[in-house]
Parts: sequence; C-alpha cells; structure tokens
Amino acid sequence: MGYVILGLLAGLAAIERKGFLQAMLSRPIVLGPVTGWALGDAAGGLLLGPVLELLWLGAVNLGAAVPAHEALGTAAVVGGAVLASRQMGTPVTLEIALLAMAVAVPAALLGRYGERRAEAWNERILTRAEAQLLRHRLRAAARCNLYGLVISFLVSALVAPAAAALAALLIPALLRAVPGLAMPLRVGFFGAGAAACAAAAKALRARAAPLSFFGAAAGTAVVGLVGVLAGRAM
Amino acid sequence: MSATPAPLVVVAPLPRRVLAHVFFRSLFLQASWNRRGMQNLGFGYAIEPALRALYPDPEQRELALRRHLGFFNCHPYMAAAILGGAIHHEERVAAGLEPAGGPQEYKQTLQGPLAAIGDGFFWTALRPFFGALGAVGVLAVGLPAVVAMVLVYNVVHVTLRVALFRAGYQRGDALVPLLARLSLPVVADRLRTASAALAGVAAGMLMFRGTAAAGPVAGVVAALLAVVAYAALAKGARLLPTLYLSAAAGAGAAVLVARLQGSR
Repeated sequence: MGYVILGLLAGLAAIERKGFLQAMLSRPIVLGPVTGWALGDAAGGLLLGPVLELLWLGAVNLGAAVPAHEALGTAAVVGGAVLASRQMGTPVTLEIALLAMAVAVPAALLGRYGERRAEAWNERILTRAEAQLLRHRLRAAARCNLYGLVISFLVSALVAPAAAALAALLIPALLRAVPGLAMPLRVGFFGAGAAACAAAAKALRARAAPLSFFGAAAGTAVVGLVGVLAGRAM
Repeated sequence: MSATPAPLVVVAPLPRRVLAHVFFRSLFLQASWNRRGMQNLGFGYAIEPALRALYPDPEQRELALRRHLGFFNCHPYMAAAILGGAIHHEERVAAGLEPAGGPQEYKQTLQGPLAAIGDGFFWTALRPFFGALGAVGVLAVGLPAVVAMVLVYNVVHVTLRVALFRAGYQRGDALVPLLARLSLPVVADRLRTASAALAGVAAGMLMFRGTAAAGPVAGVVAALLAVVAYAALAKGARLLPTLYLSAAAGAGAAVLVARLQGSR
C-alpha cells in the first residue's frame, strides 16, 4: 500500500511541478514532510525536506533547460527512508536518511531524462491537436493539452516507488550487516547537509552570495555558542 | 461642409465568468510543453473559452485558435499577463478595430522580455528565497514553518498572477511601463542575497544539530564541509559528486576520530 501512496504522491507532485499550478507544493521542503506524513513518518520527511530543498534550490526550469527532477527525487528519497525504517522497526534515523539519499537521489536525474522524453512525446500530442483542428473540432483540439499531464504523472509514479524499493531493500541489509556504520553515517548526514547549504548559496548566483553565506553561517555559530555557554553558566 | 464622424465601435468586455475560466485554464499552460511549439498548446487551451465568446462564427473562431497555436514560450506566471493582453487584442480584432495579426504580434513582442523578467524574479529569486526560508524555519520550529511558508508564498504568487492577467487584459500594450515601475530585477537581487544568508543560517544550525546528535566531530565536519563544498562548486564541481564526497568525508572523519580516541 505504501508504494501505491508513494506513486500517487510522486505523480501528482510531478504534475504540480510543471503542468499545473507551480505553487511550491512539489518542492522538497513541502513534498518531503507530506510524503513522510502519508507514509506514517512526518518527522522523517521533516528531517530530509530542508536538506533536499537546499540541495536542489537551483533546480529551476529556465526556458527550454531541463533541471534535475527534484520532486521525483524527494519522493524517492523520503519514501525510501520511511519504507526502509519501517522494515527496521524504527522511525527514520540520521543514518537511514543519509543512505536513502545515497541510493535514491540519482532518481532525480532519471526523472530529468524522463521529462526530456515526455517533451518529445508531447509533440505527438500537438500533432494530434492539429489533426483535430483540421476536422474543425476546436474544443477537442484545445483539450489535447491535458494529455501531457498523464505522461508526467506516469514517469514519476513509476520511478519514485522503484527507487524507494531499492532503498528499502539495500538499507536494512547494509545496516544489519555492518552495525558499526551507524555512527559514521550520522556524521556523514551533517556533511551532506553542509554541502547542500553550500550548493544552495552557490546556485543563487548573487554577487554578495559568498559573503552572505559565510557571514550568516559564522554569525549563527557564534550566537549558538554564546547561547550554549550562557546555558552552562546558569 | 461638416465632416461625418466615424461610427463609434464599442468593444464589449467579456463576462467575468469567461475571464475566470481562461485564468483557471492558464494554470495548465505547461501541461503539454513540447519542443516544437513549447507552450503553444497550453496557450490555445487557455484562451479557447474567450475565443468561443468572442467569435460566434465557427470559421472566425477556428482562425483565431490557429493563430494561438503558433510558437509560444514564457514564464508561466508572467504568461498570465500576455494571455490577458492577447484577449484584449482579440476583442479589438473581433470588433474590427485591428488586423487579425495583432494578437500574435503582441505575444511575439512580449514573450521574450517577460520570460526573462519572470525567470529572473520568480524562479531564481522569490521561490528560492521561500525555499531557503522554509528550510531554516523547519530546522528552527518544524512543521508550522512549512505551512506558513506555503501560505505566504501563494498569497504573493496568486495575487501577482491574477494582477498580471488583469493588467494585461485591461491595459494591453500599456502593460510594459507598469512592469518596469515594479523594479523586479532590483528586488530579485536583494532576495538572492537574503537567500544566500538563509543558506548560511541553515549551515550554522546544522553545525549545532550535528554536535547535539552525533558529537562535536559532526559540528566540525559540517563547518569544514560547508567551506570546502562551496569552494569546490565555485570551481565547477558537479552537484551530486560533491554531495557524495561530503557525506563520505563526514563518515570518514568520524571513523578516524573514533580510531584516534580508541588508540589513546
């Protein structure tokens, strides 16, 4: 049942991402917690959502350029993490979250390939609309536009559960086979998180981005340290 | 000799119901994005209810729909303005006030500049800003931040999209000076700088979360890798290899520190 829910969510997110609305509902920061909640672990989605959002902050559809399919990637990663953790009888932990990213993030590239194929397929829909117009069926010609939604839906609805299934297969096996991996992977999660923050700042292409990024990071670290020290002194 | 005044042609505005229908359909602009006509099919789908209301003669209506199936590509939010403006021009064509090529000329003139403005403001500034704000919000307070972010973004997004559609419909060609007055590129630049700062705040928060969850080594790893990953990306490193290497470096550092502590 979890895979069906995941496929539906991934498909609907793919439609929202490009074909209808574009209201940020398919961005990782929203789709991550929603996917986690739908699969029974909202906290797992909240753990991964910010990291994936920052990782793919620069994934934007400019002109004819096709970016990584961040919605499909998010559904695959969060779905994989929740389904793997369910098999291990725990909520999504840091080590499971990192391994789910390692296994399922490339699904976003597969999604990009699928989107390119869908754009080529949509030319057939245009040809079909033109044929309807030749038969003077104006409303039918215009309605052909909606057929493209089906292709977007199907690509994500099939790839996201498949990538999540792979994660759910590999992660429990790996963590059971090498229990000592858990602690290093927890630290690795924060390494990946830091890289995602850097990727976000870099993707913005603002002249003042390096100064803002490093200044804010240092400022937050100082404020946090002062807070910790003040807490200890009290 | 007195000159006979030209007969006054009044352009009857379309009913609000029709305009609302067109606006709703504009949300599907990219449903069949294709390489030959890009958003052409979406544009034709969106404007079709207006053409039905404007041209009772099926032949005229078909000609009108054909001209809207020509190449079209714009930012999906900004396209609302062009859609409104195209209806403005179609009303004038239907009333015999302008030649049939007017709407297409209007679309061709505006689609490039408005796409550039929309991409520069919405896709590379406003949306990343809300994304980064949401990420920091989730790290700070959790789920309420996501709800608040989505609500505020969509108040801005939907308001602007409706306003652009109305401005295009009511003003037609006079839309351009109105957009110029909004100074969107200046606002976009400030939003990008603020977003980079939010990414920095997120990095700082991850240092503390890491320390709390996996010990000081995780905090140090996060701090170092934020610097190294930024430098690597600035030198042209690809995103996913950078992500994998950062995760591996973090895990490797943890193993190394554990061994050093064990050997003491």
